[in-house]
Amino acid sequence: MTIIQFVLLGTALFSMGLYGVITRKNAVLVLASVELMLAAVNINLVSFDAYLADQLHAGQMLALFVIALAAAEVGIGIAIVLMIYRNRQTADVDALSEMKG
Amino acid sequence: MELVDYLPIALLTLLGIAFAGVSLVLARVLAPSNPTPEKLAPYECGIVPLQEPVQRFPVKFYLVAMLFVIFDVEIIFLFLWAVRMDQFGWAGIATVVAFMLMLIETLAYAWKRGALDWNVSHRTRTRRVVAPEATIEKAA
Amino acid sequence: MGNASYLAVAFEGILLIGALVVLLVAVVAGRSRAVWAPIAGASFLLAALAGVLQWIEVENGGGGMFFSAQNLQVIKSPMVVLDGFSAMASIVLGLVGFTAMLGSWDLVAKVGKRSAEFVALSLLAFAGLHMMAATPNLVVIFIGLETASISFYVLAGFIRADVKSDESALKYFLLGSLASALFLYGIALTFAATGSLTIYGVNSIRDFFSETVVSDPGILLVGMALMLVGLMFKISAAPFHQWAPDVYQGAPSGAVGLMAAGVKIAGFAALGRIFVGGFISQIDTWGPIVAVIAALSMVIGTTMALVQTDMKRLVAYSGVAHSGYLLLTLLAGVEGMSAMWFYLATYPFMIVGTFAIISTVSGPTSTSSPIEAMRGLSRRSPEMGWLLAIFMFGMSGMPFFAGFVGKILAFIAAGDAGYIWLVVVATLTTVIGFAFYLRVVATVFSGEDDDTTMIDPTLSSRFAVVIGATVTVVFGIVPWILIDVVRDALPL
Repeated sequence: MTIIQFVLLGTALFSMGLYGVITRKNAVLVLASVELMLAAVNINLVSFDAYLADQLHAGQMLALFVIALAAAEVGIGIAIVLMIYRNRQTADVDALSEMKG
Repeated sequence: MELVDYLPIALLTLLGIAFAGVSLVLARVLAPSNPTPEKLAPYECGIVPLQEPVQRFPVKFYLVAMLFVIFDVEIIFLFLWAVRMDQFGWAGIATVVAFMLMLIETLAYAWKRGALDWNVSHRTRTRRVVAPEATIEKAA
Repeated sequence: MGNASYLAVAFEGILLIGALVVLLVAVVAGRSRAVWAPIAGASFLLAALAGVLQWIEVENGGGGMFFSAQNLQVIKSPMVVLDGFSAMASIVLGLVGFTAMLGSWDLVAKVGKRSAEFVALSLLAFAGLHMMAATPNLVVIFIGLETASISFYVLAGFIRADVKSDESALKYFLLGSLASALFLYGIALTFAATGSLTIYGVNSIRDFFSETVVSDPGILLVGMALMLVGLMFKISAAPFHQWAPDVYQGAPSGAVGLMAAGVKIAGFAALGRIFVGGFISQIDTWGPIVAVIAALSMVIGTTMALVQTDMKRLVAYSGVAHSGYLLLTLLAGVEGMSAMWFYLATYPFMIVGTFAIISTVSGPTSTSSPIEAMRGLSRRSPEMGWLLAIFMFGMSGMPFFAGFVGKILAFIAAGDAGYIWLVVVATLTTVIGFAFYLRVVATVFSGEDDDTTMIDPTLSSRFAVVIGATVTVVFGIVPWILIDVVRDALPL
């Protein structure tokens, strides 16, 4: 196993997440795609950390913080999506067109 | 790098935009357009859904679940302290206690506001109230 | 760990304690808004005072880096840095936060039970914003960014039952978290390329550039570009600005001033810290990109603002243009930092004041505010009308207002850096921009008006507007007071 395989995995996951954010219509799935992007970053961080043999393990530390922040973000995100659903009976992001211009 | 060095990138961008634009225009011109609700559905499989799935959002527990996830994950910060516990000494313990106190306070606030209340009655009142000015604008 | 290390985190500490006290009062004593006003105000003012103390400490040579890895002989991985840059950020964020809180107070008074949440989230958000300016560590910058962003997502959707407010919150959330993810990926790639997550210290990004000749910069370029894109989203520079008008319009009027002003200050502080502090040796690489983004922001912001009919969207698009002007200062590197801080110390007060007036005229919970609602404001509420005109003149860059001095300093910075074409674009957009600012002023002073109901602003919003206008006028007439100060607001 070399660093390149992990980085490829991370890049692929990140690209899938980005694709999902752009194309998905359901807000929950967009949220899931963002989480996928953050997971990809975590894979990258941990593998770079191992590859660089960083004494302070800065990469691993950042990965742990990312997990915690992602949880906070998903908590807020789900709350906002539920609020949208309550108000409109749909979680379709294309339905959000109250404001234009 | 000078600005000129970015010329290939600019050209590539222009080429990409041109390609995408030409494809879109060609598709618009050549393809027959007949959008139906089924085609626009998130999962396009040709079968018209007979009814909405009954309980898509079992919202009763979502607040508890969300709070669980957040508080659960905060434990990660304890992990960071625990691996170097001996080096941080009493200052580290004081920091962690302060951190836990903050968490407990937020939990107390959530409790006080009724977020842990399963038999929901306090949440139904805000349901589907649209501000008057928004409705007027929609009608106009 | 001396006293200086506690002073270095005093801003965050004070705001955190303030937020905790607010929540504690809400738990123990139930609702009592009268208590939260002094707590919030005192927290912001004390935080600004801490900033002044930090400034004095730095002037006396007491700055430096703190909270490094322990049991090491050298400062290896500092978490907090105390320099003119972070002290200036404390002062500006504290005072802007105080003014914005005054402007938001009408909204706080209306949201009932949840007002404790509003106050606590605002305090925490500003603590996060200052973290972005006061740390040499990319991890902590990211944590600060997320702390502030997550709080602001909630503030944008604070009026839960309003379809515009929730739409605003979701748009802000989705684009904001996308920007955060891009920024984070940029950090990961920079870590891979340089082997470090800190800007200063031993084995830092700066050491990497001074020791290594970057011959094959592929991964580093992508990392820098992604970090740049992530921050450009936050400061709403074109072409990453699409969320801003919708979010500004949909969020409750009382909360927008707080969000818009805070994010601008911290976003540019982080840009300065990372790109001027860390990547200054690579300025030939990122400079042209920033120049193009600045030009796009100025042109798109100005032209789109011309056709707006909603006051909040107009300020949003003018904010896009102002991001462009602010980006000019980055191009000059370290020399541009004083111009940036002059701009950041004056422009946010204009935003806060303008939104306080919008909140007074259209109501603090309103989610749209047509320019027509301002018609005849000079008679319906003379002080609000005149002061709105001051803010509009200030933003447009009229001489004798602070916006003019800020713009001139930014133009000089860009000119010194050799971007003459950019200065030409900036001058042209400024001249075109007069059109929409003066349109607002004309509406305010227009003669015929059907609506003659007098508007009686609350005391708190009066204070917010007067503070904002004072800053706009005073630093427009005697700018050298502030110029002398911001000259020392440099990153370490």
